[in-house]
Amino acid sequence: MNLFGLASRNLKRRPVRTSLSILGVGLAVGGALALMSLSHSINDSVREGINEMGDDLVVMQKGASDIFGGFILEPMTERVGSVPGVARVAGELFMFAPGANGSNMLTLGWQDNSYLWKQVPLREGRVPASGERAVAVLGDVAAASLGKKLDDTIEIFGVTFKVVGIAGYTSAINRGLVLLPLIDLQIASHRPEQVTMIHVRLDHAATDTARARGAIESLGNLTASIANDVLSKDRNFAILDAVSLAISIVAIVMGAIYVLAALIMATQERTREIGIFAAIGWSKTRIMASIVVEGMLLCIAGSGVGLILSLVSSLAFPYIPAIGNLVSFRPGVALVALTLVVAFVLCLIGSMFPAWRAVQMPPAEALRRT
Amino acid sequence: MDKSQGSETGSSASGVKKSPNANPLIALRGVSRVYDDGAIAALTNLDLEIASGHSVAVVGASGSGKSTLVNLLCGIDHPTTGTVLWRGQPVNSQAQWANLRRNQIGIVFQEFNLIPTLSAIENIELALLGRGISSRRRLARAAVMLDRVGMESRMHSRVTSLSGGERQRVGIARALANEPTLLIADEPTGSLDGANTLLIADLMFKLCDDLGMTIVVVTHDEVLASRCVRRIRIKDGTIDAEPDTVTIAPSVACEAELK
Repeated sequence: MNLFGLASRNLKRRPVRTSLSILGVGLAVGGALALMSLSHSINDSVREGINEMGDDLVVMQKGASDIFGGFILEPMTERVGSVPGVARVAGELFMFAPGANGSNMLTLGWQDNSYLWKQVPLREGRVPASGERAVAVLGDVAAASLGKKLDDTIEIFGVTFKVVGIAGYTSAINRGLVLLPLIDLQIASHRPEQVTMIHVRLDHAATDTARARGAIESLGNLTASIANDVLSKDRNFAILDAVSLAISIVAIVMGAIYVLAALIMATQERTREIGIFAAIGWSKTRIMASIVVEGMLLCIAGSGVGLILSLVSSLAFPYIPAIGNLVSFRPGVALVALTLVVAFVLCLIGSMFPAWRAVQMPPAEALRRT
Repeated sequence: MDKSQGSETGSSASGVKKSPNANPLIALRGVSRVYDDGAIAALTNLDLEIASGHSVAVVGASGSGKSTLVNLLCGIDHPTTGTVLWRGQPVNSQAQWANLRRNQIGIVFQEFNLIPTLSAIENIELALLGRGISSRRRLARAAVMLDRVGMESRMHSRVTSLSGGERQRVGIARALANEPTLLIADEPTGSLDGANTLLIADLMFKLCDDLGMTIVVVTHDEVLASRCVRRIRIKDGTIDAEPDTVTIAPSVACEAELK
């Protein structure tokens, strides 16, 4: 018999309460982990999607609150292309566009002559010919989720497009894309001559990234970023991160409160036992340790349940409509470790209070309790 | 020094004469204990010395303060005023008291105070935690103690399945597991029937005698009190008188059982 044996014996004495406490901690840890993982996964997925396009720089409207919120006049694409050291440019309009069944699809419009069309990793079919209208290329996941194949039609903004190609991108977000000719998307969305961002490839022999950025931004009202920095200026992602973090903290604090409540009840019920421990010579530290160990066992078991719940939710995530096929939801090791450390620290604090409270009573008084 | 100090002679339960000891094992100096902000005075300005190796009975009516006295002697309660001395040194902190209870003082309770979810041997093992000995040695020591109180066949039984007498044997084994210098027994036979009272009393005094321990027994039972070389009567929170000591031999039942 040691402190762990004693603690586990005490937990088994109250199986219903113990199970509910473990479930409470599990839901808290699982919920926090799922939320923060989702937030990180969305960030990562978008970043991977931009990276897959192979850009050196991404140019957006200066001060745009998010990646969807800024607009640049299409002729600016040519001006950016004329900056010394810029090898290629491609204007892009992108948005979540309504489809036939009311679902929104991440839709991109590319110029006819864009180099991006040439880089589409086609799995089937082709890309639109120059000047061809009302045609679409679907990412393979988008095609699968819509149940479309070559020569089928889809509706975007109520306009019908014929599927001429299926792309096999690797990033989750690009696999869920709908690619249209820019002019079609501009007309359908009532945004003539507008693009959301400009993809830039540099001639590294002729310039360096910092100099090119400065030259592009000097054109006025533009921000040029490397792909990894694009989301750092996005207010929507900042809000998503903040909300996820806040809810996660609340969830984990609630988990710690579950532990605290369970231990307060347990120590109140076992006041006499705590008096016995004191009477047989246990120090306050040892008595507190026995209670804290009980709390930490609840936390460990609850964290295990939380990990399983988050794993199950990551496996179930792809089946969620609208977002399931756009985001690769996978809890990272660092995030799991961070969440568990926070959960353990909070549970430790939650265990310390009932433990401290338990040893405040003189043993003689504790022994008088029934 | 209270008036009882003058009569520390007599014989132990087994008839061994004890000589007076000038160096008290434990002493109370001007100790008072009040409750409810002074509304209840359980003990008032009490001085007491208990010599090493002696057996002392604390007797008195219910509510006289005798349980408060033993609670102060083992440090599970603290005096409102005054000092408790262990081998002449004041014991001021709970940590010091915990250390004494872990190494020097064993307590036997009227209500046994065993952990109900644990077996007999586990209850004793708990008292050995924190002494820096391995689990295997703790279990071995606990088994030896259960053997000494005649409970070796029930060592793995959960204490809730034991009779009152058996539980008190486990309680005695637990109290003696650390080989204490001082055994304090608060109404050790108070929850037992007549036959078990005799057995437990004999067992306790025999073991204390074997191990050369000092024993302080709080009791209503005059027969049990008469086993001690010294009797202290508590009345209204003060030491009232020290009645004459009566010596009896161990019971035949216990002699037979312990063999």
